[in-house]
Amino acid sequence: MSAVPETLPALAERADAAYLDFVEGFREYILGKGADFEDRLNEALIAEQARRGQPWDDVEQIREYVHSLPLGRLRDRLSRTQQEMKWFALRRSFESQRAELLAELERYDARGPGRLELDPNFVHPPYVNVHFHLQPGGYYKDALSGYLYHYGTKVFFRGDNDHDELHAKLVARVPAPADGRVERILDLACSIGQSSTAFHRRFPSAEVTGIDYSAPMLRVAHRRAVMLGDKVTFAQRLIENTGYADGQFDITFAFIVFHELPLRIIHETVREAARVTRRGGIFAIYDFTGTRDKSPYQRYHRWFDARHNGEPYSQDFCDCDMNAILAAHGFEVAATPLGQRSGGAGYMTNWFATRV
Amino acid sequence: MSELAQQTPEGGTPIAGENPIYLKDPVLDATVRMVVELAAQVWIERERRMTLESLLEAQGTLSRAAIESFKPDAAQAAAFKRERARFIEDVFKELRRIPPTV
Repeated sequence: MSAVPETLPALAERADAAYLDFVEGFREYILGKGADFEDRLNEALIAEQARRGQPWDDVEQIREYVHSLPLGRLRDRLSRTQQEMKWFALRRSFESQRAELLAELERYDARGPGRLELDPNFVHPPYVNVHFHLQPGGYYKDALSGYLYHYGTKVFFRGDNDHDELHAKLVARVPAPADGRVERILDLACSIGQSSTAFHRRFPSAEVTGIDYSAPMLRVAHRRAVMLGDKVTFAQRLIENTGYADGQFDITFAFIVFHELPLRIIHETVREAARVTRRGGIFAIYDFTGTRDKSPYQRYHRWFDARHNGEPYSQDFCDCDMNAILAAHGFEVAATPLGQRSGGAGYMTNWFATRV
Repeated sequence: MSELAQQTPEGGTPIAGENPIYLKDPVLDATVRMVVELAAQVWIERERRMTLESLLEAQGTLSRAAIESFKPDAAQAAAFKRERARFIEDVFKELRRIPPTV
């Protein structure tokens, strides 16, 4: 390995790392072929569907049946438990070094390359007041949210993104505008900026800006980018009301954010992306696939995640027609299926849309 | 599922409360959590022992017999006791989550 700076926050003790290493392995086991919940429960659902002689109408029916099965209930218990264990260990580990971690952020806030633009008068809209993925304090209420998120997603991606490998791969797939002009890139809801830095590396001469509502996330994003030597601006702004000028960006990007938005904000965000993306520019979205045409188990999993993993808006997103929403706001969408596991049990897809 | 649903700030799926019961009996839920927690603790110990044994072997500083005959002094014994309390809390904190009534 080349000497990539380690941007993951250090845990207080070796035992904390071992604990989280266990959670990562256990997560792999219960989501994958180890416990083999998915295939076995899906087979049971398909057999029950055949017995009833009609397809599953809605997720309520699926839920009732899964909950009648001891295996289904155990699967839910273990899914919830591994998530709770992750946050329990991370919170304890970071809490014991809170002062040092905050001092570390302060050391980086004013450093370059790149810059951090926090808004002291920022007002958080009510819809973000959710403990997404059960993260304690949600995404913005704890000054350590960015650190929690960074290590939490390392475990979530089960070793596939320890050094932003997944972000680099997904950013590499984003098509450049047909005229090849890429001078300004906007990363919507950039969180800790892993896509933003990947864009900077792909287009070193472009100005890359990552925006998010969470100051703690943006501070970690900025620290990471400085450590990596990547020049990116991180700004505290709303994705549905960015405040940037019309047609300012050649590429606008959104990585797994839409499923965390209420439908109203999904529409507003697409409208805003259409406003700030220049004609001929690209709006690239990676997010969950719809579940209507998915297996009964996948439909169940989406419901479970919404209700039991702090993703309240995700079902509505998976049921909405993103192609139609994008078209309504002036985008032309190229369908390029991805079939990439999201890190959870679900799948990701993408919408690569051109502003017309 | 016995827990109360919590409404979200803006529509969507009502999210589960702090301590959902999945297995119909909260004692069973706690038991499963404790088993998984124990597995985590076992792994932590095994990982540490493998680390130590590798280091000791590489440095040639310690024999296995010395480990077997080790007796902690007072300060070490107190530290072990603190670790034991943390271990027990990690595993059995689940007991506090069993509601008195279901």
